[in-house]
Amino acid sequence: MRRVFTYLMFTLLPAMVMAQVRTVTGKVTSSEDGLPLPGVSVVVQGTNKGTATDAEGQYSLELAPSETTLIFSFVGYKTQEVAVGERTTIDLVLETDSQMLEEVVVIGYGTVRKSDLTGAVSSVRGEDLTKIPAASPMQALQGKVSGVQITTNTGAPGAGPIVRVRGVGTFNNADPIFVVDGVILSDINYLNAADIQSVEVLKDASATAIYGSRGANGVVLITTKRGTPGKEGMSVNVSAEYSIQQLQKKIDLLNGREFAIIANELRPGSYNNVDAVPNTDWQDQVFQSAPIQNYQVSVTGSTQKMEYYLGLGYFNQEGIIPKSNYERVTLRFNNTYRLGDAVRVGSNLSFTPFKQQNTHINAAFNAYRAQPTIAPRQPDGSYSPVPGVGNPLADIEYTNNFDNVIRSVSNVFGEVDILKGLTLRTSFGVDVEYKKNRSYTPQFFVNAQQENSTSDLTKLFEDRANWLWENTISYNKQLGKSRISAVAGYTMQESTTEKMEVVGENILRDDEDLWYINPDNINGGRVKNEVLLDNYFSMMSYLFRANYTFDDRYLFTATFRRDGSSKFISKNRYANFPSLAIGWNVINEGFMQDVGKLSNFKVRASWGIVGNEKTKYDRQYSGVLNGVGAVFGQNETLYPGSTYGESGNQNLRWEQTQQIDAGVELGFFDDRLNIELDYFHKTTEDILIDLPVPGYLGNGVGKTITYNAAEVLNRGFEYNVSWESEWNGFRYRIGTVGTTIHNEVLNVFGSKDPNDKLFNANSTTATSVGRPIGSFYGYVVDGIFQNQAELDAYPHRSDAGVGDLRFKDVNPDNALTSDDRTYIGSPIPTFLYGLNLEAGFKSFNLSFDFQGQSGNKIYNEKETVRVEMYNFEQHVANRWRGEGTSQTEPKASIGGYNFLPSTRFVQDGSYFRLRNVTLSYKLPAGLLTKMKMNAASVYVRGTNLFTITDFTGYSPEVGFPLDRNQSGVSSLNTGIDAGTYPVSAIYSLGLNLTF
Amino acid sequence: MKKYNTMKSITAFTLAFLWIIVAGCSDFLEKPLQGKLTQESFPVTASDALLATNGVYNIMRTNAFHQGLFPILDIMSDDARKGSNPDDGAADVGPYDRFRHIPTEGNVSRWWSTLYEGVKRANVVIEKVPLISMDATLKARYIGEAKFLRALFYFDMVRAWGGVPLVTTTTPSTTLTRASVQEVYELIRADLLSAIESLPEKSEYAPGDLGRASKGAAKSLLGKVYLFQGDTQNAEKYLMEVISSTQYSLMPNFADANSEAGVHGAESIFEIGALPYEQIENGGNQYANVQGVRGTPNRGWGFNRPSLDLQRSFEPGDPRLEATVIFLGEVIDDIAIVGDGQTPDETKDAQGNLIEIECYNQKVWTKGTNVPTQFAHNRRLIRYADVLLMAAEVLNKNNKPVQALEYLNDVRERARAGNPAALPDIVTTDKTALDEIIFNERRHELAMEGHRFWDLVRTNRAATVLGPLGFIAGKHELLPIPQIEVDLTQKRIAQNPNWDQ
Repeated sequence: MRRVFTYLMFTLLPAMVMAQVRTVTGKVTSSEDGLPLPGVSVVVQGTNKGTATDAEGQYSLELAPSETTLIFSFVGYKTQEVAVGERTTIDLVLETDSQMLEEVVVIGYGTVRKSDLTGAVSSVRGEDLTKIPAASPMQALQGKVSGVQITTNTGAPGAGPIVRVRGVGTFNNADPIFVVDGVILSDINYLNAADIQSVEVLKDASATAIYGSRGANGVVLITTKRGTPGKEGMSVNVSAEYSIQQLQKKIDLLNGREFAIIANELRPGSYNNVDAVPNTDWQDQVFQSAPIQNYQVSVTGSTQKMEYYLGLGYFNQEGIIPKSNYERVTLRFNNTYRLGDAVRVGSNLSFTPFKQQNTHINAAFNAYRAQPTIAPRQPDGSYSPVPGVGNPLADIEYTNNFDNVIRSVSNVFGEVDILKGLTLRTSFGVDVEYKKNRSYTPQFFVNAQQENSTSDLTKLFEDRANWLWENTISYNKQLGKSRISAVAGYTMQESTTEKMEVVGENILRDDEDLWYINPDNINGGRVKNEVLLDNYFSMMSYLFRANYTFDDRYLFTATFRRDGSSKFISKNRYANFPSLAIGWNVINEGFMQDVGKLSNFKVRASWGIVGNEKTKYDRQYSGVLNGVGAVFGQNETLYPGSTYGESGNQNLRWEQTQQIDAGVELGFFDDRLNIELDYFHKTTEDILIDLPVPGYLGNGVGKTITYNAAEVLNRGFEYNVSWESEWNGFRYRIGTVGTTIHNEVLNVFGSKDPNDKLFNANSTTATSVGRPIGSFYGYVVDGIFQNQAELDAYPHRSDAGVGDLRFKDVNPDNALTSDDRTYIGSPIPTFLYGLNLEAGFKSFNLSFDFQGQSGNKIYNEKETVRVEMYNFEQHVANRWRGEGTSQTEPKASIGGYNFLPSTRFVQDGSYFRLRNVTLSYKLPAGLLTKMKMNAASVYVRGTNLFTITDFTGYSPEVGFPLDRNQSGVSSLNTGIDAGTYPVSAIYSLGLNLTF
Repeated sequence: MKKYNTMKSITAFTLAFLWIIVAGCSDFLEKPLQGKLTQESFPVTASDALLATNGVYNIMRTNAFHQGLFPILDIMSDDARKGSNPDDGAADVGPYDRFRHIPTEGNVSRWWSTLYEGVKRANVVIEKVPLISMDATLKARYIGEAKFLRALFYFDMVRAWGGVPLVTTTTPSTTLTRASVQEVYELIRADLLSAIESLPEKSEYAPGDLGRASKGAAKSLLGKVYLFQGDTQNAEKYLMEVISSTQYSLMPNFADANSEAGVHGAESIFEIGALPYEQIENGGNQYANVQGVRGTPNRGWGFNRPSLDLQRSFEPGDPRLEATVIFLGEVIDDIAIVGDGQTPDETKDAQGNLIEIECYNQKVWTKGTNVPTQFAHNRRLIRYADVLLMAAEVLNKNNKPVQALEYLNDVRERARAGNPAALPDIVTTDKTALDEIIFNERRHELAMEGHRFWDLVRTNRAATVLGPLGFIAGKHELLPIPQIEVDLTQKRIAQNPNWDQ
């Protein structure tokens, strides 16, 4: 009754005071970026009278004299009450709500309030992704997200980094999956970082189980931009960045004279006068400084009927090795249309053409090995022959390798609210790619091992079409203190591919216009047509998830997914992936109300099983090898032949990871101090791995068979601590993330015997129970044999001599045999960390991102591959030259004994790197108004400016060797530096304008 | 109106859901192997049987079939040095020159894996072709060809490594261990006896099939196998059968025993056909390219360089020296041999003695000035001169010196090319002296063809002859088992004596 009365009072009152109305106007801007905030609700306190700000953030409201207070509110901002007083203009800066407790987090197949989240999920805002000048958005995540290791394996233009979430769970392909606007992808190098709204990394099983069979290595959810519903208006953003890349550091190698002296020791008489030999620094010859250009323009907006985003980007990176570059155009159109109240349709369309030129694969490696006593060119201008590796400059000149790719990742979706809270959604997505590779090698001759007697043209055409149809039904309901959200659905996916490779020979001229295959130049024996093994599969899945929250205090999540994959034979085809999680918002308990400084306190725990099915579709099959013909007859003729190819493994089944996670989140001082701590414990069984197999199985040189081979544990802690504050106009923020990883093999083919080992193809790593995956394996160096007496006194290999390395007799049988090889280091870091510092004063902002890791070793394989006389690293100058001259560096030798896998080549892989430093300046508001702009900033930025490390190679970020020597990309080959394209230091200048 | 739209949407969704359930029942998740058959469905026809048989021969053109790529057998012997530019292969091929090679070196593991790949291909024919209903003679021949080749592969293996795992099925156990040398020879002998039964003579093959294993090839190989086992009686039996078959004779010109002019000629018992292409899939074979003239003309890498010791060991006036070694400045087939500018023409030791000259293996020469033509060389695995010399050797041992002299002098007569001053007929019937003479004749007749090292080992001459080069008796008779094979089998395949130290 009293309510009715009040209601009447308030509705009648305005009419009574109509005569004295006054108008209040103003503009509302955001504290975050100073931009106008459209759609802010402005309500007169105690009434339901109000308005919303327009696209320019302006509002106008008529007030009666009794109406003295306005309430400004907007999602994501702190609600403010303002006393009007006598003012007629009230401009307001809305503070962002640092508590963010109502912040919404994207999870698979839906969103959830951050306070209701039970899983371990890390979020990164889109603007953080544009801070590194790189083609791939993932590079900017390095050191920003706990539990995630990003390794920039190669500095080749356009190359994507390696991403590992919570350690290495598998031997096979430990990449996480990427889900871009709901489309599941295995790589996102087509994405322009500027188009990304947010990235969420799902880490624990509660979060990833909804992706079932593909969640075991983590899930990276990416949401691209579109306008905000209710925030009507449009903004245009233009940005430009220009960068210069330089080789970060050179490897310290012998100069010409030093090399000549050693060559004379190894082969007397090689150089008559070591003071008169050429001195070529091949690194200077091969590396150059090179620019990156990055431009984009985008339009973001929202109307009552739709939200949209239009983006156009251009990225162009030249490589620091000639004839390598990457040029990409990205087009994106995202939109959502509202058809009435209950139906929404929309699409995310992207179209990315890119071109990439690939230089000689061993250009950097060969510059490292080429003898420094050889001038790059002979007096007549031709390339000098370089023994063993060939002339690196000739390699580069005669390599012409171009990729032209067009890729589109797009989806269309429709949503219908059939009842309040009950929504049906269907989404059909495609990832289509068409790739053309042209590789032309002219006829040339440098020497017998670096020559091409007839010009070759290889053309490779690949097409790939991957479609994904997802149908879900979701239900959200608030019942008293209970909040329920549930989603169920099923999905189908199919990926088909085909490639055609043709080779032509004796192209009439080197001219690019003649790079076509025709009947006169086709090499019929070298036409290949097959499917791409990684991209040929189909999958069908059923999924379900329910979240239940009681009184904002108690949280429950249950998830279930059932996946079927074509990669496994029918009896192993389906698997189930369940998970359960609980959470407790302690802060919302009554007894916490008086704990003044504490602003957030939540504990959560989860359990679940997720899978991994990343294996090639044909690994289950034993196929027949075609094209193995034989030549017979007086008139010699090639007759076709076929035989058994590599053996497959019919018993392949899903790899399964069981993960337990426990976490606590704490916030203090209105969440200015935030602490998040997680413990995780992941065991992965039946891990899929391509294993080298004994030669007598007849698979052939370097071939592997895939097995479900072992079980491995990853456990550790993750933390994320941040503090932000302001002091006399000086703003600052300190953030740090860290992860500890304990990686341990639990069994090998079911055996707990530590003597059962899995080896990589050249036994430089071994994997056995109780050790990290892919531990380096070799001899332990115990000094140098100083004299014959010492050699005679110690057990030694028969090929050891005075001045050679003394290996430790590890199993003390008084004989030095292959059994004395042991584990000599782990490639997996035990601690990964990042430190982010940001400080601002007035219009200036300065930020530093540091990042590092420790506890891992690197195997310097590039130094051990010595089949011929190559240059040496500088330390060889201090070699043993007689008794007592060195205890660490053996006498010089071309190769052999002293280059066997040993601790000599195992280096500390720890490093601390200044990943990024940025100084930016925002133009003042007054100037902006004159220029009719909403925001403008300029910045200078340095990337990879310095690295503190003991590692002697180009960069301690070592992932896998290139697929040289068929060693393969596998966790058995992690942390091996085989001489890849180095990562550069980058200096950038940029401009960002918003209209 | 709005309600109607909603209803329509719901209907559409429902239909869509139903469609998926229907689709789920179909074979949406079946993705059969694309572009090739699975092993369950091959070989099942007569033409499959031929394809599978050809596939076995194919392995002999892969580069690692030839001792892992580099001709390490000759390099280990006193006939040859590493060759090439002094730097090239210095650390991987070079050590074989001085018996410093180690179990992790790549040639041995590539050779091992490739020979077993060949065994697997032979097993496909031996195991699957019998199940095919087809012409019985042809079927028997295919199986005979495969057995011959399997024996050939195992014969290389047993000589290189001793007892090795015996794989006789396409689905071998993954826990095999090494068989004994005797067991390997048992299999080789059984395969060859079976091949002799089913294979036609060389002359019975159609011209287009020359190069396939023949009865004569199987008998020659079996004779050789017995020779290596020291069974001179059986060796004599099969070698004499080859000789008396009148299928073969010596080419009038010694060089043609290995040249293009002698391809599938009278002297050829078994050879590997090849075409002038750099790719295996087009018919090329890199064996001769690895040893080809380096520089000008640009024929190859110049590995396996004839040693001065070999060159000096020829009898005065033996024309075979010129036909075995390509010297700088020589003109062959109108092509001047200039050689490699980066390779010293002469190498001297610290005392100034000449120890090596730039020269090349003429046995792999093919006419041409470029690289692809070098890939066309047909490597001769068994030729009649070898059979004659083996026969001479065993006949002498079996106390038939007169007959032995006949075959020995056949070889010498052809070699002297009508020059009565050179290579006089041998007349001695002293068993020991004749044995030594025959052995030396083998060296000169068959130099650089991969025989010398194993001949030295089987006659127990290796320690004496190769000792100065670093040969250690009790170790270097065999190659090391590739370390990776020891590792991958957790030592079920144990290392050879004295190699793991």
